[in-house]
Amino acid sequence: MMMMEEGGDKVGTGAEERRMRMKVMVAIDESDGSFYALKWALDNLITTMATVGEATPDNEGMLFLLHVQPKFQHFVYPIGTAGAAFYPASVVEDSVKKAQEETSAALLSRALQICHDSRVKAESIILNGDPREKICEAAEQMQVNLLVMGSRGLGTLKRTFLGSVSDHCAHHAKTPILIVKPPEYLKKH
Amino acid sequence: MAASGSEKQVMIVAIDDSEHSTYALNWTLDHFFAINPIFNLVLVHARPSATSAIGPVGPLYAGANDILPVVDSDLRNTAARVAETAKQLCLTKSVNDVTVEVVEGDPRNVLCDAVEKYHASLLVVGSHGYGAIKRAVLGSVSDYCAHHAHCTVMIVKKPKTKH
Repeated sequence: MMMMEEGGDKVGTGAEERRMRMKVMVAIDESDGSFYALKWALDNLITTMATVGEATPDNEGMLFLLHVQPKFQHFVYPIGTAGAAFYPASVVEDSVKKAQEETSAALLSRALQICHDSRVKAESIILNGDPREKICEAAEQMQVNLLVMGSRGLGTLKRTFLGSVSDHCAHHAKTPILIVKPPEYLKKH
Repeated sequence: MAASGSEKQVMIVAIDDSEHSTYALNWTLDHFFAINPIFNLVLVHARPSATSAIGPVGPLYAGANDILPVVDSDLRNTAARVAETAKQLCLTKSVNDVTVEVVEGDPRNVLCDAVEKYHASLLVVGSHGYGAIKRAVLGSVSDYCAHHAHCTVMIVKKPKTKH
């Protein structure tokens, strides 16, 4: 039997998982800012956007957790005196890749746990490449209704030189984008 | 469980005369206020001051002082119209409790000040979707707010209908 809960006022009872009414994508990386953004989204968007019950054409929403692994540069590492020999690049590459995968898996599992604690259904995605481009691409391809990102709260100067992923996405993403500022930034000002 | 006068968070939506802002308001009403709204909605419209509207032509024009009141009243009418249209839109979406503010000044400052004034948790702005060059020359309100507002910022873009 399929039940569509309207109004979300039955949310408190039972251990039923809630799903977002619309497709929301949250970009996750190692920074605290992105986890803060996830928590902000869960705190503030659930009441307005989540529903309980089976997916129907009306509420096949989902919370997507996206993590982009920066592409690893392939280097050749000389070892020995004056580069007499070269450590096979593939071995180094493999071990870095493995370390990267473990980090990503740990990150996303932490994020999924946070969603689970709020009883919100979520799915995780891992992509490789430049986070700036991949996030915008993924949001567009998956036709998400809202993209949520954290922000490191860099000042104007730092942002110009170090670049900012949230900045780039704010300009280039075609979907509505929500940028969550970290609390330290707010306290400072 | 809802006590009357319970503290709701404040959401500010920036409005102006453009269809981008109407789209943004529409989108926000549909997604945040359809079921169980947890935000109090405040609409803020930044109206350009008469002197800034006339611009550099002003001082050179002999009759500048004469046209100033005309321009000013015209701007007030436009602003009132924008505010009324937005309020009507909210009512059609069953959002009855809306505060509308029209403030004179540069939108960038007006919006950031409004965030301070209302202790808003969320600021919603539309975006003209200017390219890099236009944005550098004309400036971007959404850009400025995304960086300087002391709260979470949501930028809602109207999809370009290319095809």
